[in-house]
Order: sequence, then C-alpha cells, then structure tokens
Amino acid sequence: MRYIQYDSVSKMVAIQVENLVMTYGDGTKAVKGISFGVDEGEFFGFLGPNGAGKSTTIKILTTLLRKTSGSVKVAGHDVEHDAQTIRKLIGVQMQDTVIDEDLTGRENLMLQGHLQSLHGEDLRTRVNELLKIVDLEGAANKRAAYYSGGMKKRLDLASTLVHQPRLLFLDEPTTGLDPQTRATVWSYLKQLNQEQGITIFITTQYLEEVDRLCRRLAILDHGEIVAKGSPAELKQEIGADAITLGFGNGTTGNGTAREKAKQILTGLSGVTNIVDADGGVVVYAKNGGFMVPDIVRAFDGANIRLSSIGVSTPTLDDVFLKHTGRRIRPEELDKSRGSGRMFSRRR
Amino acid sequence: MTLFSDTSHLFVRSMKKLLRNPILLFFSLFQPVIFLLFFTQLFSKFSLLPGFPAGASYQDYAVAGIVLQNGFSSSFQSGTAIVDDLRSGFLSKMLATPVSRSAILLGRILSDAFRVIVQSTIIFGLAFILGTSAATGILGYLVALSIIAFFGLAWSGISLSIGLRTKSAETVFGIAGFLTFPLLFTSTALVSSGVLPKWMQTVSSYNPISYTTDAIRALVLGMNSNTGYTVGTILTAYGVIGFIGILTMGATLYLFRKVVS
Ligand SMILES: Nc1ncnc2c1ncn2[C@@H]1O[C@H](COP(=O)(O)OP(=O)(O)O)[C@@H](O)[C@H]1O
Ligand SMILES: [Mg+2]
Repeated sequence: MRYIQYDSVSKMVAIQVENLVMTYGDGTKAVKGISFGVDEGEFFGFLGPNGAGKSTTIKILTTLLRKTSGSVKVAGHDVEHDAQTIRKLIGVQMQDTVIDEDLTGRENLMLQGHLQSLHGEDLRTRVNELLKIVDLEGAANKRAAYYSGGMKKRLDLASTLVHQPRLLFLDEPTTGLDPQTRATVWSYLKQLNQEQGITIFITTQYLEEVDRLCRRLAILDHGEIVAKGSPAELKQEIGADAITLGFGNGTTGNGTAREKAKQILTGLSGVTNIVDADGGVVVYAKNGGFMVPDIVRAFDGANIRLSSIGVSTPTLDDVFLKHTGRRIRPEELDKSRGSGRMFSRRR
Repeated sequence: MTLFSDTSHLFVRSMKKLLRNPILLFFSLFQPVIFLLFFTQLFSKFSLLPGFPAGASYQDYAVAGIVLQNGFSSSFQSGTAIVDDLRSGFLSKMLATPVSRSAILLGRILSDAFRVIVQSTIIFGLAFILGTSAATGILGYLVALSIIAFFGLAWSGISLSIGLRTKSAETVFGIAGFLTFPLLFTSTALVSSGVLPKWMQTVSSYNPISYTTDAIRALVLGMNSNTGYTVGTILTAYGVIGFIGILTMGATLYLFRKVVS
C-alpha cells in the first residue's frame, strides 16, 4: 500500500501556480492571471465570494479542466503533461457531494479504490479503516441513498482518501452543512493535516474557518488574488481596530449624511481608513475603543444619528473589505458584529 | 491491464445499479410485452395477408419485431445513464482518478448490451411459453441475441451522443419517443413489406430496422424457400448494423473526448 509520510526535512512545493488564466468558451474570464504557491504539508485556504473563480481554479489544479494559459504544477508535475501521475497523488472533493447512491457505503469506497488500481486484501483493510474513521461502520452495507446529508458528506470525504493521497483538494466542503457536521469535517481535516502531513487545499466562503485552521491563504475576487499571506499577517496589514458604524433609519439611504459623516471621521485624529459598508461605514483606527466617545460626540454635534457601534480587532472580512470595498458575506457579518456588541471589545 | 480491470469494475457498477433499480430493466420491456400479449391476438388475421410465410402465426412473425422494438427503446436508456453521471458529478469524480477513459465508456456500453440480452431472452422466453419457438434452435437464439446486442450497441451510440451533447435526459427520452413509431411503422418490424403502401415500402427498404428485424425473423421462422430468408439476410444485417455502429460510436467517442478533456 502506498503510504507517503510528510517529511519536514525535505519540504517540497506541493502546488505552484503562475499566471493562471481561465477564459471559458462563452468568453467568461473566470481566472485572470493568478500566481501562488503551496508548500507540502500546508493547510492552505482559498477564500472568496460566490463566483470568484474558486471552483474553476480547483478544477484546473485537479486536471478536470484545461487552462487557457499559465503554468500549474502539482506535486512537481505539470497538469497537462503529467495528468495521470497527478491523479494518483491527489484526492478531490467536489463542491457538491458526489457518491453513487445505488451502491452501499462500502461499495462506494471499494469502487473508488478500484478506480485508483487498488485491489484485494490491502484495499479491503483500507476501506474498513476509513469506514471506522468517518464513523460509518454501522451503515457500511446500507445503500448510500438511505444516508443522511452528513453521512453522505463523510462518505464522500472518505472516498477521496482511499488511495492515501498526499494532497487533498476540497471545494467548499462545509458549505450547506449543519454546524455539527461542519465541525466534524474540519476536525477530520485538521487531523489529516497534522497527523499524516497531508497537504490540504481548501476553498471556502467561511472566514472564521480559514482564520482558525489555515496556515496561509489567498483571497480571490473576480478571478484575481487580492491578498495572500497568513491570517495574522493579513490582519496586521490593516494595523488598526475596526469600528463599524450603523446609521439610523432614514440616514442610510441619504448620501449626503454618509458623506458628511465621512468628512467628520476624516478629521478625527487616529483614523487610518474609512470604507463604505452596508448600512454604514467601517472606520479603522488605532486603539479603536478610545475613539468611540470622540465619534459619538462629533456625530451628535452634526446631528447624525447612529443605530449601532461595534469595535473589534480586524477580521479577514476587513481584509477583504479593504481590498475590494465589499463584504464577503454581508448577511453573516450582521450576526457576528454590530449592534449586539455595542462598545464591547473583543480580546 | 488496467483497461480490462477498469472496464470490469465499471461494468459491475452498472450491473449493480441495474439490479437495484429493476424498473430500469423492465421499463423498456413494458411496451413490447403488451404487444406480444395483445397485438398478436388483435392482428392474428394478418397472417392471412399476402406475403406472409405459410404455416407461421402472426405471433411467430412478430416476435422478431417485438425483440427489436425493445432493443430500440432500451438503447435510449444508455444516454440517460451517462447524463446521470454527468449531472451528478460522478463522471468528474471518475475523471479525477487515473481510471482508463475508454473504460468509462466501455463499461457503460457493455452493460447496456448485457441488459438488452437479458430483456430479449425474457421476450423469447415469453413467446416460447405462448407457442413460438425458433426454427433454428438454440444456436439460432444465440445468433439472434448477438444481433440484437450489436443493434443495441449501435443504437445506444445515438442516445449517448444526444446525452453527451445536450446533457439532458429529457431530450434523450423526447427524441426516443419521437423516433420510435415512425421508424417502427416504416419497417418490416410488425408487417411484411408486401402489406405496406408503396411509399412505405421504399422507406422500409432504407430503414435499418427492417434489415435487423428480417435477420432475427429469419432465425425464428427458418431460412428456406418458404420464408424466402437466407444466410445472406443475416450477414446483411450485420453489415448494416456495423455501418451504423461505426457512425454512432464515432460520434459518441468524439463527444465523449470533448467532455473528458
Ligand atoms: N462552464 C462554465 N462556462 C462559463 N462560465 C463559467 C463556467 N463555470 C463557471 N463559470 C463562471 O466563472 C466564474 C467563476 O465561477 P466559479 O469558479 O464557479 O466560482 P466560485 O467557485 O468561486 O463560486 C463565474 O462567473 C461563473 O459564472
Ligand atoms: Mg464554487
């Protein structure tokens, strides 16, 4: 059985992408010349909103889609000339769960092994091992059609691991999952990465997940990488706390009030940046907590009503906002930050 | 040899899917069996019409056409199966592994051929119970099954091409439904050429379904001066099917390569 241990001494480049361009047949420029590298053993996050080009990139990296131009090397092999070699080394999980529902869980894994040219006792042992890991031993001989959503997802994940891949590509593995399954999936991935040294390349729209688990990440928007680095580095780049100001009803749609507010904020010392956001603005400032009284006083004087104030250390969303002028997921953000946590400072 | 083992694993997968969805096995059988049970009764007087081989009942005569009709509608299930794999992403999942690309198509096609053999055996068996046995015996049945299997392969190329091209199962079924009756009625599947109006006779003589039916019919009724069929009838059918097969499989391969690359 092939078993490749991550060797920290000879650190290799797992993925090397240079000037990758993908233009679809209908003229859609999905990827516009991106470059990045992923080291062996790394947990790499590819973050971006819907339509950013994440799936397109992952399809090219996994030999499923032919690039328009640029150079892509996976595990040292060229995606076009050495596709067969790459396919033996990688595991791929698509954005949608893909299993054969007419087959049992065990049959799905056996088939996946067969497609990787594995046979016999070795394969059977490996399949049993995986069934145990993803907690499907009890349902192994049941048809996958009768599995719950979470079980299907776990089976799908297991099926990408049958041949002990050195590199795992996962396209939004947690989107649409319930919180419990999401947590389980992430803990498997963390384990795979830390205990077996498997390189993980993952795309997601969930900022918190990337922030917590990825050593490094790239942020993609409209087919371009707008930022890359470690989560800490990227947030440090902002160099300030984020003060999120929500305007009261009626003021939001009023462009002049927004402009007036921004004018006032620009005049305050300590403010490093001001960015428009839904229903308000985000002000970046050193020691944000101390700025709040100043802001409130200044707005009071100008008769601008505030509906909410929140102060937080910068998140990856602030990084995204800084580079694109947009939130990655406005609706999620409203829940994690804003009026509920008035004046409270995280950490 | 990975082509061989990959093909066998994918063949087994298709077989399991077929057995676990028995409806797929019987779906295309429904109409032919109705024909066998009712039309043969309804049209039993057809055998008195000119051009019918003496001594044969209409049922003896029509079994070949009924087997063919099943092969025809069964061949259209191939296209919907590949659409399923395309749409569910299972094809992509296979393509992300080093599995032989040809095996993906071959496993599919072979299991379709196997299915049509099983179905045809059921029809021949039912006809046997109802009193029709092949004049050429067991060997005749085997040759007939090989003809219908090749016919199924050649015609499944049409549905595979449509499926690969449109990625829509509805389109495959729509076109199948659209083609079935015009093609069957302008052939010798259900009546002998002599009974058809002149223009239909002309169409029928170009209709590949006529050649295939005639070959199977030759095996059921026997090849002699009474029936007018000879070994040449069978060889011609192989030739016609081979010609169609090359065209449809060529198109399938071309479209499959486009999807795969
Ligand atoms: N097969 C295709 N043909 C044409 N355009 C496509 C195709 N697939 C994706 N796109 C377009 O490419 C862009 C990037 O899509 P995608 O890579 O799926 O983004 P993401 O995975 O980040 O949501 C989108 O504008 C999408 O509409
Ligand atoms: Mg996507």
